[in-house]
Amino acid sequence: MSDKVSPIEALSSASRAYGEIDPVSDHPRWGMVVDQERCIGCWSCCVICKSENDVPLGMWWNRIDTVGDALDTPRRVQGELEMEWMPLACQHCENPACTKVCPVAATYPREDGVVMQDAERCIGCRFCMVACPYGVRVFNWGAAERPTDFDTGMVPPRPVGTMEKCTFCVHRLADGQIPSCVWSCPAQARIFGDLNDPDSRVSRLIRERGGEQLLEERGTEPRVYYLPPRRKRGLET
Amino acid sequence: MSTVASTSSTAESRPGDRSFRVWIVLLVLGLALGLGAWVYQLSQGLVVTNMRNPMMWGLYITLFMYFVGLSAGGLIVASAGRLFGATRLKPIVRIAVLEAMVAVMIAALLLLPDIGRPDRAWHLLRYAHFTSPLIWDLTIVTVYFLISATYVWVYTRADLARRGSRLALGTGASLADAQRDDRLKGILAAVGLPAAILLHSITAWIFGLQIARGFWYSAIMAPLFIASALVSGTGLMILLALIVRRAGKISFKDDLISYLGGMLAVFVAVEGFLVFSEMLTAAYPGAGFEADPARRLLTGPYAGFFWFEVIVGLAIPFVLLAWRRLRADPRWVAAASVLVVAGILIHRVNIVLNGLSYSTVPYPPGVSIGTAQPVGTTSFALSYFYHPSLVEYLVAGGVICFGALVFTIAARKLPLRESDHAQFPNPTS
Repeated sequence: MSDKVSPIEALSSASRAYGEIDPVSDHPRWGMVVDQERCIGCWSCCVICKSENDVPLGMWWNRIDTVGDALDTPRRVQGELEMEWMPLACQHCENPACTKVCPVAATYPREDGVVMQDAERCIGCRFCMVACPYGVRVFNWGAAERPTDFDTGMVPPRPVGTMEKCTFCVHRLADGQIPSCVWSCPAQARIFGDLNDPDSRVSRLIRERGGEQLLEERGTEPRVYYLPPRRKRGLET
Repeated sequence: MSTVASTSSTAESRPGDRSFRVWIVLLVLGLALGLGAWVYQLSQGLVVTNMRNPMMWGLYITLFMYFVGLSAGGLIVASAGRLFGATRLKPIVRIAVLEAMVAVMIAALLLLPDIGRPDRAWHLLRYAHFTSPLIWDLTIVTVYFLISATYVWVYTRADLARRGSRLALGTGASLADAQRDDRLKGILAAVGLPAAILLHSITAWIFGLQIARGFWYSAIMAPLFIASALVSGTGLMILLALIVRRAGKISFKDDLISYLGGMLAVFVAVEGFLVFSEMLTAAYPGAGFEADPARRLLTGPYAGFFWFEVIVGLAIPFVLLAWRRLRADPRWVAAASVLVVAGILIHRVNIVLNGLSYSTVPYPPGVSIGTAQPVGTTSFALSYFYHPSLVEYLVAGGVICFGALVFTIAARKLPLRESDHAQFPNPTS
């Protein structure tokens, strides 16, 4: 255990019970559901991701795209205005484009489906970044700059010249806790669980609400599913 | 019509020595600057380049592709001459294989400054992951380098032996040696041509297998890379042959240049056809995955590059080369060669820039740039207009200067002139 403190554990009110992963099958395959009905585009998940994972300035493992042409701006759909956000991090694909192209297998799918990144093996060729259709991999171009003069979070910092990305907070998974982005969402728009269990919340939501995969036609089979909004936001033109 | 080059008889003349020395000094200077820039880049990280997350490959990879392509000329001339009986290419075979060897060496060396952790380059051997086209490419680049180096040796070793050079590795210049050379040349040609085809195809597949990149993900990439390699490789071949002839190291008649020019015209036509076929297929649907990048090339921000490639790099040289009267004059063929060599460079730039510089998920704010940005500005980008930094130019220039240095010294020291001995070995020498 490092002397670092998780931003979640640092909160006195943090309830470990809230962060516990739902009961899982014997061989879990982790997945996430993002409910676009609930997402309010607040970037809380992105910010906590940065402190939990010690992500330097200028780099984001997690971001909130606005569907449309302008940030936080409604778009016109069939004459009506609609606004929806698309929180975007590594999709932990079933058929990842990135792991295939890595010349040294520094990025690889784990048994439970998490796409890992080994900062000690990575040679920094950035082929995975070229191959990823989601633009969620970030590279350490130079020495890390941080708003604090100390490291934060529960994972070691990555060296210059290597790739990094969302890990579904594997260090928290090992502790039976949900990823920090899921924990921090004030709208409970993110749900995490076991896709192998047909009765898990994620499986049920995907089934019942018609979960969609991003860029499904590329065949990467993301394990992050988006639930499209059910109703209009009530904005008139 | 065809005249024997006037300088051919007085090789190694004194007046050339001064400009030769200046040339060497310039190359060493370029190499030193490049090394200095690379040391600086090593100390700071790739942050000193202008590559960032929204445009993660830049000048180094572009030039890698380009030099892989430039190496085509050599083995094509050597292998085709052998396999298809184009014996008139003989006077330039040695210079051709030397060019192939040096070009592919430059390409391989350009990968070193591109990777973020060159200190871990040995991981490529230790942890080689064979589903990666990069591993395939490193393999074929190594094989191709070895084949072309063997080629250079086999073609020059008899003359080296006659000079008593240690580079002959103890082989002689007897009739038996010549017969063995002949067998070896046959084997090399049979191995070299498929290796060349593979080299360009695999380099194309680094790009063409990426489902994320609409403009790249196309079965035409491998044929396109072979065609563009033949264009730029033959173009460079013609220029080098003329330069080395002027330096008095080889001699041939002008009609050889016209002959190569005719070949180049065919290659340019094939390249033009493939580019047209690619663009039509991509642009026809009008919008989406493939059409958007195509539109950026045709009428968008990269239109200048694209039309340069098409008009200056393909159309004008094709006219120069297809016109029989112009093709008869080596100066026009040389001019066309300069244009195609420049045109294919821009073609490579277009592939990389247009393939990478736009976010694949087209929603704002886009991809995080990767370095701390000034307060009040965004650290995301949906598109990123890349131009190389000074460090990138210096490092890439250093690698190219090193290659040119190797080529110049090898061209000076090695017996490049096709000797009569090759056909009629003198057992007593």
